[in-house]
Amino acid sequence: MKNKVRVLWLSSIACNGNTHSFLNYPYLEQFLNDFEFIHHPVIDSEYTLKDIVSTNIACDILIIEGSISDEIKRADVKVVDTIKRYSKIVKKIVTLGTCATFGGIFRESGYKDTTGLHFVKEEKIDKFKNLVDKTISLSGCPVHPEVLVNTLYAIKKSVDLQLDDFLRPKDYFAYTVHNGCTRNEYFEYKVDKHQFGELEGCMFYDHGCQAPFTHGSCNKILWNEVNSKTRAGLPCMGCTEPSFPKNNLYGTKKNMGIPQELPLGVGKRTYLTLAGITKAFKIDRLEKKLFDD
Amino acid sequence: MIELIEKIEGEAKLDFSFKDGKIDFVDIEFMTARNIEKILQGKTALDALVINPRVCGICGHAHLIATVQAIENCYENLEISKKAEIMRELTLNFELIQNHFKWFYLTMRPLLGKKQEILKATYPSQLMAKAIAVFGGQYPHTSYAIVGGVVSDLTEMDLIKVNHYIDETIKFFETNVVKADVEEFSACDKVDNILNTSGDLPDILREIKNKEYLQHGKSYDRFIAFGENSYFTKGKSLKTIVTQNISIDYVKEQENLNSLAKNVTYKYKYYEAGPLARAMINKIPLVKDAHRRYGDNIFSRIIARVCEIEQLLNHSKKLIQELDLSEPSYIEPAINIENLTAKGQSAVEAARGSLIHKIELEKGIIVNYEIITPTQWNLCNGTRENPGVSQKAMIGLQEVKTAELVFKTFDVCSVCTTH
Repeated sequence: MKNKVRVLWLSSIACNGNTHSFLNYPYLEQFLNDFEFIHHPVIDSEYTLKDIVSTNIACDILIIEGSISDEIKRADVKVVDTIKRYSKIVKKIVTLGTCATFGGIFRESGYKDTTGLHFVKEEKIDKFKNLVDKTISLSGCPVHPEVLVNTLYAIKKSVDLQLDDFLRPKDYFAYTVHNGCTRNEYFEYKVDKHQFGELEGCMFYDHGCQAPFTHGSCNKILWNEVNSKTRAGLPCMGCTEPSFPKNNLYGTKKNMGIPQELPLGVGKRTYLTLAGITKAFKIDRLEKKLFDD
Repeated sequence: MIELIEKIEGEAKLDFSFKDGKIDFVDIEFMTARNIEKILQGKTALDALVINPRVCGICGHAHLIATVQAIENCYENLEISKKAEIMRELTLNFELIQNHFKWFYLTMRPLLGKKQEILKATYPSQLMAKAIAVFGGQYPHTSYAIVGGVVSDLTEMDLIKVNHYIDETIKFFETNVVKADVEEFSACDKVDNILNTSGDLPDILREIKNKEYLQHGKSYDRFIAFGENSYFTKGKSLKTIVTQNISIDYVKEQENLNSLAKNVTYKYKYYEAGPLARAMINKIPLVKDAHRRYGDNIFSRIIARVCEIEQLLNHSKKLIQELDLSEPSYIEPAINIENLTAKGQSAVEAARGSLIHKIELEKGIIVNYEIITPTQWNLCNGTRENPGVSQKAMIGLQEVKTAELVFKTFDVCSVCTTH
């Protein structure tokens, strides 16, 4: 039997969304030929959680799912202690999901000092400073299965991944969610009359879509191999970002009619100039329904 | 004797007391709560559509549908198109199906001595996730149902795609779960006929008989379901007598001293929720036959859950035919939600049983939110005098291992229980 890469999947304050997202990976058989879980929330493993928290079991990669607080225990042992124990053994640590990376939704659960491993929202924290060099952050609520699996393979191959300021692989997080959205033309030409329930229109102007300033590959690699939220007509909620979840997610905050948050790297003046130009022409094709009766 | 039960979307602690070699009481403790109800306070109503699917990675869609219906219940005379209603029902069906496959292959079969076959769990559940994604953009954690309908629109091509996913899942069921034509399986009303076929379901049902587990897992024989749609009816069943006139008003939650999960009762009594409850209330012939022979035991619970896969697949095919694509997917509510001060509630049938959401809005802001999950019904931590449904099902067993099997036939979801 060949040597498989040994992975510990450790849950903290989580919903298991990343666990079930991972189970949607289409080539699991291949993956499980190359990797084995010393513990996983649903997949059978050689060791129980009790074994995991009480002894050092050989392991190559530690995956952390869920927000982290000193108060949280799994199998009667503080999750932070289990993280400390295995971080010494493993080659790499993956914070899986927005909770484990930035604190996410469950940062608000009311436990003491609930954070991600290295960040609480945008802010860097020192709690596990010595582990920064070992960590790769995969944010997202949930994380796309391909993003996780391919990152694990990159670790296996010792690829020198380029990471952004939040330790996220640029391969997936250098893009914005806006890239590849089928509603792009409505955005580009500022056709700003979106209504829910339609194939047409862009949710950026009125319905809170954060895709133009959210890092992620949702529209590049697609979800479940078939679709994405924005393609379906659901605004991007910015779930890969440190600020997730913001408030009033279905509405676009505006100042004097201009969206408060603009596409990544686009200044207000540039935006206004562009908007002025695009407003000057009317594109019939985009004013009409795609399927014209 | 305290046993940590793992891989139930989290963990629970079961503290077994023995008397004369038999379990005479089990204390059930859930250790981690995430206080979702508190997180929601002060947020705008629609933000609950994004937060609540994150209650649970395996049944988050039921939480979305319950949320949207609870908010809609705050309105008087809110109009929803038939099309949007069908779309929501379909995606919820697909979630139930993926859940049941995972439970059957990842949890139940290994407990009965079979190897965990991950790919048999993931192949059909991925197809169902794809079907949800066609409507909702992604699975898990879409928020595509919004007040007034759904955000997406469908084309005939989408329906062709979704039908293929359903047909492929049916084919998987016919070649793996029960080696029979689904039409035949659906018409079957005798468990003996199932026991004589081959396939992964009859395989473990026979195992239960061979291991003499048929007396295991009996509880109150008292069932309840609050969710209603074109397939499920609401009602309760007491020793096979079904009545429909039940009301959420009689549902009460109580704090639990030993656990972070709250107990829930109907008219101060514990009831079982879930596929067996639904099958008893909807009088599904095959499940009724199992129940007649073996009672509310693990055999009936397993067959009820697996039967539901086939029922929901076939029903979903019919529902798709009823879709009128010319209808709107979304009808904008006449009242802006920012002006809404009201209370609303909803009940939907999630994979593990009835899920109830209650919301209170003040000018569109959430001032109170309550969630009662299916697992709270089944895993109530009662007293020796009045044990909860799963406690009663475990009392009298001799081994912790079989108690764990019985416990997991309820398809335990730790994250939901404490939410």
